[in-house]
Amino acid sequence: MSSQADGSPALVGVGILGAGPVTQAIHLPSLARLGHLLEVRHIMDVDPLVAEAVASRVGANFSTSMEELLADPAVDVVAICSPHQFHAAQVIASCRAGKKAVLCEKPFAMSGEEAAGISAVSAETGVPIIVGAMHTFDPGWLGAEEAWGDLPGQVHTVRSSIVLPPNPRFEDFATEIVGRVPMQARDITDPEVMKAMMTGGVMGLAIHDLPLVRRFTPDFAAVEVLHAEIVAPFGYVISLRAGNVAIELRAAMNGTWEPSWEFEAIGDDAALKIDFTPSYVHAGSATARIRTAGKTTVLGPFGHNGYEGEWRKLAELASGRGTPPSAETLLHDLEFALAIAQAAAGRIEKGSIETGRNDSGPVNEEQEISA
Amino acid sequence: MNTQLSVAADPQADTAGAVSAVIASLPVSFGPAAEAPDVVAVSGHAGWTTRAVDAILNGAKGVVVSSPLAEDAAGLSAAAGAAEAVVVLDRRWAGNVALDSANDKVHGVIGAALGDAVLLDSVAIAAPGTDPLHLLADQFAVLVQCEIEVRNVRMVQCNGNGYTVAGVIAGGVPVALQAILTSALPATASLTILTSAGRADVVLPDPAAAWPAEVHAVTTEGATMLPTLYESSHRTTWSRAHAHIAARTAADDLARFTTVLSLLSQLNR
Repeated sequence: MSSQADGSPALVGVGILGAGPVTQAIHLPSLARLGHLLEVRHIMDVDPLVAEAVASRVGANFSTSMEELLADPAVDVVAICSPHQFHAAQVIASCRAGKKAVLCEKPFAMSGEEAAGISAVSAETGVPIIVGAMHTFDPGWLGAEEAWGDLPGQVHTVRSSIVLPPNPRFEDFATEIVGRVPMQARDITDPEVMKAMMTGGVMGLAIHDLPLVRRFTPDFAAVEVLHAEIVAPFGYVISLRAGNVAIELRAAMNGTWEPSWEFEAIGDDAALKIDFTPSYVHAGSATARIRTAGKTTVLGPFGHNGYEGEWRKLAELASGRGTPPSAETLLHDLEFALAIAQAAAGRIEKGSIETGRNDSGPVNEEQEISA
Repeated sequence: MNTQLSVAADPQADTAGAVSAVIASLPVSFGPAAEAPDVVAVSGHAGWTTRAVDAILNGAKGVVVSSPLAEDAAGLSAAAGAAEAVVVLDRRWAGNVALDSANDKVHGVIGAALGDAVLLDSVAIAAPGTDPLHLLADQFAVLVQCEIEVRNVRMVQCNGNGYTVAGVIAGGVPVALQAILTSALPATASLTILTSAGRADVVLPDPAAAWPAEVHAVTTEGATMLPTLYESSHRTTWSRAHAHIAARTAADDLARFTTVLSLLSQLNR
């Protein structure tokens, strides 16, 4: 435990906007593993009790406004963990406040216009931005990236398959949550609810893997949603095409005790499969397997996961080392996700999908989001 | 004592179903035919139903068809019924011993998962150049063998690298069938049924060797891996053919094949 007053100048000071389950169960435990690099110095939440309770865990200052946190000179790096609709404005404000780096939870904007605004401010201020697409920082993925050779040029099929229990289960394995918002029941046979679920599924769950998908889809701008369905109680089946690449997205948040998170990219002569560890808990990195006929190369597992990888990268950037992801990459990742979310929800609007089970019960709001 | 049946296979049939190697692994049940074979191996390329009828009319007690293409089998069914001949289809995945109708444990796992399913996802892997419709017929055959009734099937996308087919099972539960053509992965067919609290997974191997199928179930009680056998679909098929001929019982292969054809026909509506 430490505080702003006695914080070591050698450490990078962290301020966090939003102290909900993602901050409590993901970022604070990750930062606790990196105490030699980073120190949490300020926690902001609109709920003062939550802000104080969470800040007290790490001996940080707390506040209820973004302005207070940004004005805190002990904060070098800002992590934006607020609801999606606040992301863009908070990223821009953090850049303008002269911070050394910004981490924004995905999605970092909810429209192309917001994203372009962020990109312009980042270019103007020179503040590096990282989007919390943790799988892109996972050592298993990074190891595969170094080893896969000409795989991206030959991939014709990409699959993302996610099976997870509802978030609270893993949140509770990672920490003791305060201020959890009660769930709201709703009717998933209502087309508007289904549309919101599909959008939430893409922007809250599929989005974890969409930057990975995009690495194998050079024609990402031409992405076309061919089929989309809701999976009960929360999930999706989405079939897409981007140029010559077929993309299949599957997800189900059911009551399983055995999570599974697989990503596959397959070409004529080579195939990549990555098994990711579940979110929240620190269960090490993904394991990647690159296969050709008769040969399998296994990479990982390594000792840390993508969340820790994000923070290692932020510490590096805040210290003036390393190269941040390009603004163009972040922009294109977002455009890709938004296009898929909009088109998939549109399949429901058009009534052109087979609906999920009509006998399904209500679904919890929180089941939409898995960081 | 086991009755040895004589077998004849033309070169195409022999290649399509690895007949020589399989027969060699069942030396008490089968032997080569000098003349008038008891069982004729027929390759499933175009015209196989006619060749099978010819074999029955020439006195064969049984016909084993390797990888049959989609073709109306009504005439063959009638001919087989009239002659009390057995027709068995050698399907690369549906013929795996794990899916044998008598395997109550496997069918029990699948049936239990279907009763609580939220998603059925199946992926077929095959070599580049494989005919997509032939592959889809093999994938449908797995579902039929598992007693899974799929409806509203429609082609979502199809190209030289594979296809995606959508459908539903009882209760409107989504079904997603995908084929991927690659030489990087073994030619397997997987069937995953996600449930409200777990899953059932079946992975069926290429019959080119006697790799065992994999059958797993995850429920709230834990995870179970069912015992499966090191026996290829080809060998299982020939053993089944022998058993039917010896017991003078009919096989239901053509009836199941007709169900596969009806699923394929839905794609054209």
